[in-house]
Amino acid sequence: MVEIALLSVVVLIILLTLGVPLPWCFGGALMVMYFIGDSIMKGNILWGIQQLGNPVLLAIPLFVLAGTIMSESGIAASLLRFVSAFIGHIRGGLGVVAAVSCAVIGAISGSGLTGIAAIGPLLIPEMERRGYPRAYATALIANSSILGLLIPPSVTMIVYGWVTDTSILACFLATLGPGLLIMLNFSIVNLIMARKFPLVLDEKPTFSQLTTEVTKRGVHAFPALLMPIIILGGIYGGVMTPTEAAAVAVIYSVPVGFLIYKGLRLSNFLSAGKEAATAVGAIMLMILFSMILSQMFVMEGIPQKLVGTIFGITEDPAILLVMILVLLLLVGMVVNDVTAIILIAPLLLPLMGAIGVNPVHFAAIMGVTTAMGGVTPPYASILYLGARIGNVKVTAVIPPAMLLIVTGYMPVVILTAFWPDLSLWLPRFFGYQ
Amino acid sequence: MDRFAALLLTSLICIVALGQFVQVITRYVLQIPVMGLEETMMFPTLWLYILGAVNASRENTHIRANVLEIFLTTATAHRVLAIVGEVISLIIGIWLTTWVWDFTRYSWRVWKESPTLYIPTFYGDVALMVGMVLMMLWSALHLLRHLRGMVKGPGHG
Repeated sequence: MVEIALLSVVVLIILLTLGVPLPWCFGGALMVMYFIGDSIMKGNILWGIQQLGNPVLLAIPLFVLAGTIMSESGIAASLLRFVSAFIGHIRGGLGVVAAVSCAVIGAISGSGLTGIAAIGPLLIPEMERRGYPRAYATALIANSSILGLLIPPSVTMIVYGWVTDTSILACFLATLGPGLLIMLNFSIVNLIMARKFPLVLDEKPTFSQLTTEVTKRGVHAFPALLMPIIILGGIYGGVMTPTEAAAVAVIYSVPVGFLIYKGLRLSNFLSAGKEAATAVGAIMLMILFSMILSQMFVMEGIPQKLVGTIFGITEDPAILLVMILVLLLLVGMVVNDVTAIILIAPLLLPLMGAIGVNPVHFAAIMGVTTAMGGVTPPYASILYLGARIGNVKVTAVIPPAMLLIVTGYMPVVILTAFWPDLSLWLPRFFGYQ
Repeated sequence: MDRFAALLLTSLICIVALGQFVQVITRYVLQIPVMGLEETMMFPTLWLYILGAVNASRENTHIRANVLEIFLTTATAHRVLAIVGEVISLIIGIWLTTWVWDFTRYSWRVWKESPTLYIPTFYGDVALMVGMVLMMLWSALHLLRHLRGMVKGPGHG
C-alpha cells in the first residue's frame, strides 16, 4: 500500500507541475488511491464536509479579511509611519522599518501576503527614492512579509493545530521566537547591505524633535496598534477563541478604516470582501480534498508504515531531522504552506513522536520551513506578488531574495530544528506542555 | 457579474464575522449566550467557502504551482499547457462531482437536522453540489476560451 500511496503522491506532483489547480491535484491523487489502491471513497465527502464545518477553520477567512481591510484602509500606512519615526533616519533604517512593520502587521493578519500587499506599495518607491535598489527593496519586504505566517495569529498554525489535534495557542507561540529572530536577522543583514548603497538620509533629529514626532505619529497609529492588542490580548487573556478574536478584528477594522483612517470606501470594502472570500474559497476546497487524501493515508496505516520504512534507513534522530528539513523545504518550494502542512503533518507526526520531537516543536519546524517556500522558487507566491507590486522582474528579485534567505532565514530554520527551547520556551512559559 | 460576486461574497463573509462578534458580545459581555447561533452560522460559512471557490474558478485564480509554465517560452506552449490543465481539471472534477452527488443524495435521504434549532443540514450540504457544478461549468468555459484562442492563433482569447 505504501507503493500506491507513493504513486498517488507522484501523480499529485505531476499534476502540480502541469499547473492543474491544487484541489484537482488532490482529486487526481484520490483517483489513484481509489482505482489502483482500492481505497474506499464512500463517506469521505461527508467526513470532509464535517471537517470544514469546524469553527476553528472559520478563523482563516476572518483573519484574511482583517488583513485585506488593513491593506486597503490606510491602517498599514499609519503603522509604517509610527515605526519609521524611531529608526527611519539612520543608515539602513528604512529597511529595518520594513522588517519590523511586517512583523507588527503579522500580529494582526494571519497571512504571509498582507505584509507585501500593505507595505510594498508604500515603502518600495520610498526606499528606491532614498537610494535602495528597487529589486533589493522588493526582496526585503517580500521576505519580511513571511513574518505574517510566524508572528501569531497565523493561518498555517491554525491548520497545523487542527490537523494534528495540537493546541493552536501553543503552536502560535512556538513560531513567535523564530519569527522575531528572523526579523532581527533581516534587520542586521539589511544594515550591513545598506553600507553599499548610496543612501539619501534625513538629518538626524534632536531628542525633542524625535519625541514630538513619535508622540504625534503614535497618537495617529494608536487605533491601529490597538488591533494586535485586542487580538492577542483577547486570545491569551482567555477571553476569546482565535475565531472570535478574528471576528472582533474584522468588526473593529471596518469603522477604523472607514471613519478614522478614511482609506476604506464602499468600493474597496466590497473588493476586499470578494478578494478575501475568493482566497479562502480556494484554500478551503483544497483543504477539503487534501484532508480526504490525508485521511485515506491514515486509514491505510501509511504513517506507521512510513516510520518503519524510514527507520529501516536510519534511526539517528539528527540525520532524520536533517532529512525531514530537506523534505519540508522541497515540499514548501513546490506547494503552498497550508497544503504542505495538511499533506505532511499527519504523515510525519508519528515519526516525530518516535524520535522524541514534541508536536509543538514540530509545529515550529513546519511553520518556519514551509513559510520559506513562499519566497523560494519555483512556487514563490509571496515573492511573485512582491515582484508584481514592486514592478520588478522576478529574475531581478531572486538574487537579493536568496541572499536574505541564506543569511537571514536558513540559520533560524536550523536553530528551530536543533534547539527545541527556541520554540518551546514561550509555550511552556504560558503553561502549554 | 463582478459586482454581483463582490456583493454576495462580502455579504456572506460579513454575516459570518458579525455572527461571531455577536457571540463574543452576548457570551462574554452580556453573559447571555444566544442558543443555536453557532450551528446557524454553519450555513453561511459553508456557502462562503464554496461560493468563494466558485469565484476562484470564475476568475481562474485557484492556487496552482505552475512549475512547468516557468520553463515554457512561447504563447502556443502556454496555451497547450492551459488546455491540458483544463482537460485534466474537468476529468477529475467530474469524477469528484459524482461522489459529491452521492453525498448530496445521502444528505437528502437522511434529512439530518441541527441539534438546537432543527435546521436541516441539507441546506448547507447542498452548497458543495451547487459549487462543483458551477466550477465544472467555469472550467469548461475556460477550456473553450483556450481552444478558441488556439484556433484563432496567438493574441486571441
